[in-house]
Order: sequence, then C-alpha cells, then structure tokens
Amino acid sequence: MDSIGKTWWVLTGLSVAFLGLCGAFVATSGVAVAHGPAIPLVDTNFISTATARMSAADLIRTGGDISGMECYACHDKKNPPKLKLNAEGDVIVPKEHEDIVMGHGRHHRNNNCFNCHDESNLEALQTRDGRHLKISESPALCGSCHGPTYRDWEAGVHGRTSGYWKRDAGPIDRKVCTSCHNPHSPPFPPRAPAPGPHLLHPNLAKNHTPANPEHH
Amino acid sequence: MPDNNPPAADVSRRSFLLTSAVMASGAAALAASLAPLRHLGDYVTPEQFLQKYYKELTPAEMQKVLDRITREVEKQYQVRPDVRDYKPMNGVEFVYCLNLTRCIGCRKCVHACVGENNQSRNPEIQYIRVLKMPHGSMDTEKGDHNYAPASVPEKGFFYMPIQCQQCKNPPCVKVCPVKATWQETDGITVIDYNWCIGCRYCEAACPYFARRFNWTRPSIPKERLNPTMSYLGNRPRPQGVMEKCHFCTQRTRQGKYPACLEVCPAGARKFGNVLDPDSEVAYILRTKRVFIQLKEELGTSPRFFYYFDV
Amino acid sequence: MSLGDKIRNYLVFLVRCGRIAFVGDWRYYAWMGFLSIVILLGINAYARQFVNGLIVTGMSDQVSWGVYIANFTFMVGVAAAAAMLVIPVYIYDNKALHDLVIFGELLAVAAILMCLAFVTVDLGRPDRFWHLIPGVGQFNFPGSMLSWDVIVLNGYLLLNVHICGYLLYCRYLGLRPSKWFYIPFVFLAIAWAVSIHTVTAFLYVGLGGRPFWNSSIVGPRFLASAFTAGPSLIILALQVIRRVTDYQIHDRALLTLRSIVQVSMLINVFLLVNEIFKEFYTRTSHVASSQYLFFGLHGYHALVPWIWTAIAFNLVSMALLVLPLSKSLRYLNIACVLAIVGIWIEKGMGLVVPGFIPTPLGEMVEYSPSLNETMVCLGIWAFGILCYTVFLRMSIPILQGRLVKETEPA
Repeated sequence: MDSIGKTWWVLTGLSVAFLGLCGAFVATSGVAVAHGPAIPLVDTNFISTATARMSAADLIRTGGDISGMECYACHDKKNPPKLKLNAEGDVIVPKEHEDIVMGHGRHHRNNNCFNCHDESNLEALQTRDGRHLKISESPALCGSCHGPTYRDWEAGVHGRTSGYWKRDAGPIDRKVCTSCHNPHSPPFPPRAPAPGPHLLHPNLAKNHTPANPEHH
Repeated sequence: MPDNNPPAADVSRRSFLLTSAVMASGAAALAASLAPLRHLGDYVTPEQFLQKYYKELTPAEMQKVLDRITREVEKQYQVRPDVRDYKPMNGVEFVYCLNLTRCIGCRKCVHACVGENNQSRNPEIQYIRVLKMPHGSMDTEKGDHNYAPASVPEKGFFYMPIQCQQCKNPPCVKVCPVKATWQETDGITVIDYNWCIGCRYCEAACPYFARRFNWTRPSIPKERLNPTMSYLGNRPRPQGVMEKCHFCTQRTRQGKYPACLEVCPAGARKFGNVLDPDSEVAYILRTKRVFIQLKEELGTSPRFFYYFDV
Repeated sequence: MSLGDKIRNYLVFLVRCGRIAFVGDWRYYAWMGFLSIVILLGINAYARQFVNGLIVTGMSDQVSWGVYIANFTFMVGVAAAAAMLVIPVYIYDNKALHDLVIFGELLAVAAILMCLAFVTVDLGRPDRFWHLIPGVGQFNFPGSMLSWDVIVLNGYLLLNVHICGYLLYCRYLGLRPSKWFYIPFVFLAIAWAVSIHTVTAFLYVGLGGRPFWNSSIVGPRFLASAFTAGPSLIILALQVIRRVTDYQIHDRALLTLRSIVQVSMLINVFLLVNEIFKEFYTRTSHVASSQYLFFGLHGYHALVPWIWTAIAFNLVSMALLVLPLSKSLRYLNIACVLAIVGIWIEKGMGLVVPGFIPTPLGEMVEYSPSLNETMVCLGIWAFGILCYTVFLRMSIPILQGRLVKETEPA
C-alpha cells in the first residue's frame, strides 16, 4: 500500500476511534465513585458528656432512686451497727448492702466502714480527725487523706470542670469526687473504647496484619 | 514529508473531507470526554468564586458571606444554622494541657469533636487521633492507632490524644502558598475554607498529622448537624479544602470549653487562657514539673502540654 | 518596515507553524492520533476527578502526595537538564551542539508544560487558581517555597519560549539574531535551570516534620539525577529525530551528551551511597522511612522491589556509561533507558511516597495509584510528548530552511 493509501486508513481509523471514545465517555459519565463500606454512626453514649457515675447530690437533684439512702428506715438511731470482720481483717459486707463492693485502698488499708461513715449518724460522714460532714460535703472527706489530688481538684485541675473557661462569661459545673469515683471502690472503672479510625482506602490494607509497634 | 507542496485537486477534496471528519470526530470526543462534568452541581457559585480573602472582607461583606453560608447550609441540611465570625478576645492566649495519667483512651473526645465540628462521617474525618503508647516511650512511631480491646485502659500502656498543637511557630502557616491558613492573636491557627486551593503542602509540612483534607464532598448526617457555627471553624466545608482542629472557635471564643474537654470522662483535658494566672492551665504549668511538648526539637513550640500526675 | 507589517509577518509565521502541525505522512498521523486518544482518556479521567474530588486517586491523609507530584518532580528535572545542552554550546563554544540547543530547550518547554499540568491536576480546588496571582490573590512570597516554585517555573517557561521563539523566527526571516536579544537570556536560563530544580528540592527539604526529606543532600541529589535523566532523554529524542526526519545529527553530539550523563550518573550514585550510609549507620529513629523504602517496615514492603530495581538500573547504567562499550549507540541507548527509568522510580516513588510512610505519628498506610490517577498521568505525558512533537514539526523545517519567509504563499 502506498503512503497516501496508508494515510487514509490511518485517518479513517482515527475517526472511528474518536467516535468510539465519544460513545464510551458518554456511556460511563454517570458512573458513581465507590466510597468503600459505609461507616456506621458512632453510638450516642460515646458523645454524651455524662460522668462515669452519679454522686449522691446529683442523684437527689435529678430525682433518681435514693431509696438506699434512708438509713434509719432499717437501722436504729440508738443502736450503731457493728462491723463483722473476716480472718484477714476485711469487713464482711452484710447481705442487705450486698450491692456495695469494697475496694478502697490496697493491702486492706481502708476497709473499715466507719473510717468514712459516722456510726452515730449514718446519714453523715466523718473524717479521721473528728470532723462531721454532710454527704454533699464529701470532697473534704476524700481530701482529708488525698491531699495533693484535693488541692488539684480545688484548682479545677483534677477531674472535670465543664462550662466556661472565662469565668465571668458563664457558669461552670464542678464535678465532685463521687461523680467519677465510687467511694467504696474508687479506681476509675475501665470501659469499652469508641471505634478506632477508618482509612480512606481500606482495600490497600486488606492483606496486612496490624502493625506491632513494640517489635522493632 | 509533504509540507508546502499542494496535492492534486480531487485527492485534495477527498483528503479535505477526511481531515474534516477526523477533526469533527476529535472535537466530539473532546466534548464527550468532559461529560462527567454535568454532575458538577453546585461545585462553585459565582459569589463563592469571587469571594475575597478573609482579612480583606469588610464587616458588611462578611455579613453577606455569612448570610450566604446560612442559606447554603439550610438548603443542604434543612436546618437553619447560626453562623458567625467569632473574633479572638484580647489578652487571651489559649493553651491545652493534657494529663496522660488520666487519659484512658476511650476516644470519646474524638467523636465529640466530630459531632461538634460537623466533620464528614463518610469519608471519615477526625481531628483527634489517640495513640496507645507503651510505658517508657514518647516516640510516636511506637504508637498504635487501631487498638480495639474490650476495655480501656490496658495495663502497661498509656494513651495520648493528638490534635492540632496550635504551634507558636507553625510550619503549616509558613508553607501555604496563598496564606489560607494563619495564626490569630489568641493562638489558634485557622483556615479560610473559601480561600484554600487544596495543594496539601500544609498537610505534608505538619509534624503532628493534624491537618485533614476533603478528598470528596463531606457527608454529615442531618440529624447530627451542629447549627452553632463559626466562619473560621465548624461550618460545613466544601470538597477539596483543608480543615483541622481549631479549638472549637464557636465555643472558646464565647468563653466556653471545647467539646473534647466537655466529654472527657476522666477530666484529663485542661484548657484555658495561659495569660490569666488564675486559670487551670496556668496552675498546671506552674505546679507540674515535667511537660512534654511533642517533637519540640523541631522548633514548632506547640501550645499543647502533656504531663503526668503520678 | 512599519509596525503593522512586522505584526503581519509574525502572525503569518504563527499561522504557518500552526498549520504545519496538522500536515504529515501516515506515521505522523498515527502517532499524533495515538497521543490524542491517550490525552482524551486523560481528560475524561480528570473530569471524573474534578467532579468527585481527589478521592478517585490512591492518596489519603496519610500519603497526601502521590504520582502527580512524583511526575512533577521528575519533569522539573528534565526541564532543568535543557541547560545541560546550553552550557557546552555557549560556555565551551561547542559548535556541534549549536542547533541542538533548540531541541533541548523545546524539550524544556514541553517539560514545564507537563509540570504545570501535573501540579494543576493535584490541586483540590483548581477553580481557585487566581488566589495565587500576586496582587490579585494572596501570594505567600517569600515565605512559601511553593510560591518560589510558581515564579521560577513560569519564568523558566517564558525564558525558553523567548529564546527558542526568537532564534527560530530570526531563522525564518533569514536574519542574523541579535546577540542582545538572546545571549543574556541564555546565560540567565543556565542559572535559572539550576534554580528551578533547587527550589523544587527545597519544597521537600524545608519540612522539619519529615526527616526523610529534611536533609541537605536532597538538593544536590535532585540536580545530579536531573542532569543524568534529562540529557539521556535528549540523547534518545535526538536519535528519534534523526530517524523520522531528514535532519542531520552527528554522533559527536550524542557522545558529548554521553560524557555529561556519565559524570552526572557517577555523582548521583555517589550521593546515593552517602544517603545510605547516613541513614543506616547511625540508625536514629529518623531512619524509619528509609527502612520502609529499602527493607520494609512492620510488615509493609510495597516499595522494596521498586527501589532495588531502580538502584540496579542506575548501577548497570553507570557501569555501561563508564565503559567505552557505551560509545556504541546500542549500549548507550540501553544505558540511557535504564538511567531514565531508574531515576524516574527513585525520584518519584522513591522520594515522594516514603516521606509519608510512616506518618509523623508512626502510622503505616501504603499508597498505590488508582486507575483514574494513572490515566490522568498518562494523559499528561501524552500531552507533553504531543507538544514536543508539534514543536519539532514546526522547528525542523525552519532550521532546514524549508519553512522560511521566502516560501510564503502569495
């Protein structure tokens, strides 16, 4: 085939190719981009500002169940309750209070109920140095042993202070110790974490085992 | 190669027709190749295209912009937002202190931030990244981002949430070719989402993986939209621009705590005005003795101070 | 001659040059048609990206720059290498390369156009390009190295367009070019060529948060590899010109370029050895990215075969170049191809991607370009090659005296 003939074939072929592309482009122009599997919305308890538990004061304020707090419904004012201790010196929690799990202090250091509760007035608290406090004044009781933490708490640095950092712009909500710490078993309870991050292109990581950063 | 010799007459007519056919089909193919653009929708309106730089907007022009954004958000989400341009307060420099003894790695801060700041859920944008670190090291390369145990904290580890450190000497601000990101007087490094050209140089420059890009149109569920919005903060962002933690400008510039702090169950996060000696952060910086500023050897001078209580 | 006549002459020149680009034999049409098809596919892929956003690529927040910027970096090097032809001609007065300087500078123009295209397709909001214009937008000069890059790349483009355009137009008119209109620009272009690649290197070097890039060797390495790959490309391009046109090119020219590639490749490999020693002898925690690139890290090793292929190519190429064997064109061509491919891999996937892996927070997320992304890259490559073909199609007849003012149709 001579040069001009070849030129015609090439040009004809190009026209066909261009028209073919035309059709292909128009046909595929609506194809949506795949995003990867949908990521479920996070459970709302992970975005709630609720504290780990409710303090007695919070419970009363919000009209919660305070039936367990009327001590003299069962106890006798003239007859302070007696503690029963087991062989190691730990208090045996009576079955009427079996919802209380004791765990305050290691090495059995703080297992005497009346270290904090006032046996002569069960609806109040007492410190080791003889101060009598209302239940709503419990931070002072905690602070009587946990000094450094109490000082930090007073400054707003331990525990959560919510509301306004600019104090004159609005109110703050100062959480007390028992809003987070169970007074009978104070270590902060572990909880399930919220889901971790999702990659933009998950398929790239499909064949990999998670990185083990401790092993370099 | 024939360049200036005119070909014979009838060959010329046929080759003219053929050449025209090639040109026409080529032009048609070119037009068709742009066919996906018919799905462009409201990618950019003329007012958005012409919008001036934030620092050059007069208050009246800014109000027009805010009204326009209000209309746009209402149209897209059927929720009427309150969009304002919150200015920094005088005599305020924000600092964040994070107590690594108390953080339990629950990631509530991550998700509270997402909700407060109208971040895209799919694809997922999260300003805060929590690292699970082994005891004894602050080397972020040893961190695990994807921990998912039944409960936290796990023994032998501590948890370090990392977000924009609002550095005093920010590398992201230095590299932006159009000054779309800058630091304001209260220490917050902000982004004008209508000015950013999406080159992602700032994302490469940031030593803390703090900046995020909108790889496509963000998707925010209507029922979780936060209608209290700030121009330099949590208003919904368009496709193709950068975003990052801005210390919740819509909250903190009204005197409130940021959302990440409000949700932390352990009270590990502390925020405030370091220039105020009575603030919590000033107390911490005065009384705690050892602070970690991540990668401080890079000279970024972050405003995020990590510390341990016990 | 009045101003009106001068303008008319110039417009006629432009029209004739434009027309000639559409005329050729069947091989020319087949070649241009093939390139056009690839370009159309690239445009379509880019239209998809424009609508859907950069999610259609393989990039992510962890690896936020990919093949677009990798190709950009490589092509800036190719553009800078045009200076490598200019230096022997104008500084060392090498007559054999005289006309070939134009082919080198035209390659630089095509390369810069590709660079501008690669950077534009990488932008998240290309509709906001006007924000970069000084005076109209907010141009962060001298703070941001990207702003420096915008200036030097556009300036280099204008310089080369002026030099080539002026010399070709003078040849077309049959006039001797006036020294003042091009010699100063030529010398400026030599310095400017070094600057475009140094500024591009500084884009990476200036980031303290990325220890893989924050090293003073990156700038010299960029230049050494550019001056290896660029002249290699020119050696190959000149042989293609020799074959498809009747333009005479002496082997002497190719051998002069060979010595440039030889020295540059030796320096390039020497700098590589320096890098490897620094990273792996001291083994600070900053070695993570290099560890990932060369040996894999935490079970991720996608780039390992690539970098070792690149190193093997570079070493074989260096060996060939050093031996008199490569004075034979067949071995020289093999050495050039190996050098180009090896350096493309090293500068592209071997520089840009490992800077992001691991992330500054130690996360391991790998990258691989998507099909759409690859199509856009191929489209831009085809566009650059098309531009260069058109430039040659216009300039060769002028240099050979066939497209001149005398032959203007009445």
